[in-house]
Amino acid sequence: MPVWQRIYEEINDPNFVIICAAEDTGGEAAAGPIFDAANPTYIQVVDENHLISSAFNFVNVPSAAWIDETGQIVRIDEGTYSMIHSFGEGEQAISFGTDVYEPALKDWVAKGADSEHVQSAETVANNIRQHSSDQQKADAAFRLGNLFRMHGQQAKADQYWEMARALNPDSVNFIRQNLTLTEEGSAGETFREMMGEYISAGRDYYRPLDIKA
Amino acid sequence: MAEAFMAYPQLRNPFAAKPIHPEGSATVLYQGKSITVSSLGQGDGLLIDPADLTQINGFVLKAEGACYEDLCVPITEDVLVEQDGRQWFSLTAFAELLGQPFVADHEAGVWSFAEIPAKRENMMLNAQAPDFEVTDRTGSVIRMADLKGKKALIVTWSSW
Repeated sequence: MPVWQRIYEEINDPNFVIICAAEDTGGEAAAGPIFDAANPTYIQVVDENHLISSAFNFVNVPSAAWIDETGQIVRIDEGTYSMIHSFGEGEQAISFGTDVYEPALKDWVAKGADSEHVQSAETVANNIRQHSSDQQKADAAFRLGNLFRMHGQQAKADQYWEMARALNPDSVNFIRQNLTLTEEGSAGETFREMMGEYISAGRDYYRPLDIKA
Repeated sequence: MAEAFMAYPQLRNPFAAKPIHPEGSATVLYQGKSITVSSLGQGDGLLIDPADLTQINGFVLKAEGACYEDLCVPITEDVLVEQDGRQWFSLTAFAELLGQPFVADHEAGVWSFAEIPAKRENMMLNAQAPDFEVTDRTGSVIRMADLKGKKALIVTWSSW
């Protein structure tokens, strides 16, 4: 979050907005402190129902869309890391993310349609994930589960969150959101098993980032 | 908050059990909105007062059908239903007509509707940004239409 704020300040263009949506059913209690620590001035949304992911057919975070002044999407659905994150040391060291997204974004804001990073409508349409009827139904099931959670009916919430996961097994969001609200958390054994299945099935955990360094 | 483990078990069930709506009502979920309807027809489907249609999904009943902006869907007799001299609009039959998936919990009287595919054709075919409506942390409603004239980066993240 602090990195997006730095980027937003450096771009400093009144005709450019960032909408940062926390896909967090845990609501303000989960996402609010992280937002607050970044002192953001961009638009912040705590998206308990994952409405943004649903609108753009995203299945994981972080994901993003670039939208131009006319409402045309000019890039969509990439692993939208604002920097390279590194953790641990030696054999335990892991890193993920990219350092090419930030300059590409700045180039687009400065040059608009002349930016080399703008993609055609045909390319963008091809990059939007096609969701089956069942996958669309999964969004409805997830929101139904959230409604039951909000009304203290956890057994029914669990039932519909599981339905959402079964209807849209591509959604990393649904399984990790559910795991987050358990003792195990979203990065435990269940997640690692899911990752193994995901990779062996040849699914995209993130769509490959198509930006040259 | 156990950020290091990305685990928030205390947030799984933090709310006291309470009714979703008054007895005899139903709740409709669509595009993040939760709407309680109190006038209901009889049957397995969701039959609402036609006057409630617009507040649920934006469609308006006209002579040519149910219309949303440029889209008009001719209404079939299983959508506009008459019971005991009163007309009802079947939201579930309309959804089937539109190819709009939904999930119903009949016991609780809640229907949750997915997006209407016809409303999203411009995104899927022409890469036009979809309609969405979310509320930001200051309470302001943000709609896609509000962003016209500006470049926007819409980016998701999560605490997990």
